[in-house]
Amino acid sequence: MAEPLLSIHDVRKQYGETAALNGVSFDASAGELFGLLGPNGAGKTTLLSIVSCLLEASSGEVRILGRKASTRDRELRRMIGIAPQELAVYGELTARENLTFFGSLYSIPKPELAKRVDEVLAAIGLTERANDRVEHFSGGMKRRLNLGAAIIHGPKLLLLDEPTTGVDPQSRNHIFEEVRRLAGQGMCVVYTSHYIEEVQSLCTRIGIIDHGQLIACDTLPALLRQMDGVIRFRVARAPADLRQRLAAIADCRLVDRGSDPNNADPDNLELECRDVKTALMRLVAILNELNVELVSMEMTEPNLERVFLHLTGRALRD
Amino acid sequence: MLIWTLAKKDLRLLLRDPRAMVVLLAMPLIFIMVLGLSLGEGFGQKPDDRLRISIVDMDQGFPDPDNDDGPRLEWSKTVERDLAQTAGIRVEVIPTLAEAEELVRNSKRAAVLVFGPKFSEQVSRSSFLRGGVNPLFRDGINLEELDLRLVRDPTQLTASSIIEQVGQVTMLRVVLPWMIGRAFERIGDRLGNIMQRALQQMFPSYDLTGKTWAALTRAPERSNDGAEVTHYEPPSGSGALNRGAYRYQVLVPSYIVMFAYFLVLTVGWLFVAERRQGTLKRLRAAPLSHTEILAGKLLPCFLMSLAQGVFLLVAGKLLFGMSWGAQPWWLLPVVVTTSLSAMGLALLVASLARTEAQVAIYGTLLVLVLAGLSGCLMGDRELMPENMQRISLITPHAWALLAYKQLLANPGEPNVELIAQACGMLVVFALGFILLAWSFLRLDDHA
Repeated sequence: MAEPLLSIHDVRKQYGETAALNGVSFDASAGELFGLLGPNGAGKTTLLSIVSCLLEASSGEVRILGRKASTRDRELRRMIGIAPQELAVYGELTARENLTFFGSLYSIPKPELAKRVDEVLAAIGLTERANDRVEHFSGGMKRRLNLGAAIIHGPKLLLLDEPTTGVDPQSRNHIFEEVRRLAGQGMCVVYTSHYIEEVQSLCTRIGIIDHGQLIACDTLPALLRQMDGVIRFRVARAPADLRQRLAAIADCRLVDRGSDPNNADPDNLELECRDVKTALMRLVAILNELNVELVSMEMTEPNLERVFLHLTGRALRD
Repeated sequence: MLIWTLAKKDLRLLLRDPRAMVVLLAMPLIFIMVLGLSLGEGFGQKPDDRLRISIVDMDQGFPDPDNDDGPRLEWSKTVERDLAQTAGIRVEVIPTLAEAEELVRNSKRAAVLVFGPKFSEQVSRSSFLRGGVNPLFRDGINLEELDLRLVRDPTQLTASSIIEQVGQVTMLRVVLPWMIGRAFERIGDRLGNIMQRALQQMFPSYDLTGKTWAALTRAPERSNDGAEVTHYEPPSGSGALNRGAYRYQVLVPSYIVMFAYFLVLTVGWLFVAERRQGTLKRLRAAPLSHTEILAGKLLPCFLMSLAQGVFLLVAGKLLFGMSWGAQPWWLLPVVVTTSLSAMGLALLVASLARTEAQVAIYGTLLVLVLAGLSGCLMGDRELMPENMQRISLITPHAWALLAYKQLLANPGEPNVELIAQACGMLVVFALGFILLAWSFLRLDDHA
């Protein structure tokens, strides 16, 4: 793994008695798309505020390109771009005026800034609406402009706080494409969301945060490996040795539901297995051998939602 | 440079915000217009119990018979000065005879003294000697003989008679010494200096060569203190907006001051909107210090306030025919320091308010209470009891009004010291508000 561009070590943030962040640590490299998944109030925005030098951590350390992040470090802010959760653009200004204004805060020379504004407008698909006031834009267009304002100065670290809240599918895809392109160009992107499917489809590594704690942080396959798949099926008449044969399938566990008074039916069976596809093939072969008729079947592959439920004990949108 | 970048952005936002334009520019104009049209003619003017002598001066002057190269004699001015120096009298100059006749016809003036074009010539030629004009007759001075007449209102006989008597006395004081002096010179020419000296010894209390009443009576010249010559302005103004009416001299500054502090709403909205829409977070994430962000917000507000002050003064002049007074350049520091203190107060409110509704409610309440306390709301501080006028000096509005009153509603020379003191107090208010605001303001409380 390359030298981390962003390094977060044991960061805590306390608001009186409440711990908004409780010892969060992770690294992210240049070109990496790091997803931070967690419910509302989990601490994602607080963490981004600390990383973007808007807020001091109560303890712990954030380093960006080896430099310690601090609210007093104005130069470090040039390396960071942030798209806040709110639509942080001026409705009374045009898209071009917004980008020009935010770019000029980074002291980019005028000719270079004009060129950069055109590039960003093209990248976020707003060239044709460049001179329209933002208050007349759709929610999706405003979100894209919010992203544009975050990248106008060419940051090395891009922090996106729920960047697709309330946007149409077309704008969401546009944002995804742009985020992938930016990561492809070597930008380190930290993407927070409470939409599992977004993080799952976009991010190379995912951190799951809840109650201010990072409870898991890995690649998607590694996170999914923490969970088994499930095959639930019903047979016409289960022979006596069926349970014994099923229990012998490698990497599988036959869930014993005999003790469940609501499910006393011996023809209803459930297998938890590491690899659902392999286990399914073995199951079909055993049923054939024993000449057992399969009445119905349902498979559940491991997914991030189940991982989240498993780790936190609650669904993401609870 | 970054401050100017921020300021330019906010100026653009303000100029595109119709709400700000209505509050800052349209509302004060509407207030002034409505109150100006509805208030009486005498509003803003103190009752004056001195006798008013109105004159029309058409005198063309006359060459000085003793000095061919000297300036032309203007006897009407001498009479005007003599009248103005008389205790209990104020002189009003009406520009045209037609206006004077109109005023008399409408019983607005009991009588008007009209100096004809040949007045100076006739006075200069007045003499006891043969060949000269003799203006003296049984009742005093024959005015007609001097091309001077009294236009009277026949319905105000007593008042016009008093004015005529005042005119007679003044004319005697002016014409008689002139005639005596001239005659005495001629005695010297014809009978020689011995006769002159003998006569001078006979009347030691008089200087018979003196051609003014003071010189003749060997009395000191009268002081000019309190002498007042005003020029007639129709008190109701002219046109649909009553242009030039005196009340605008009082109303315009009152509402310039009151609405300058409505900046509280504009600045409050700017700050709250910046927080609500998340752009403040973006500004704070940029390489800017808090001081730069604050300065970038305050500069456009200050400039807007300045523009508002200048706009209302110009509108006052163009729309309402308001005068900028004897020293218009002094208006500049007053506008600047008023804007400074308004900006400070606006920052204080912005530092305390969290929502747009809070800005609207608390801001409006504060602005109206301060306007009421200072006297802005009623248009004229003079309407307040004296102790309230003193108490009102705890508001910046009152100091601004004091300065404006000196400059715009003072018929004489403004008291520059008082204006400077008011400007100084406004700066003190501005600094106080800014320091208080700085202690309350938390730019990062919504991180």
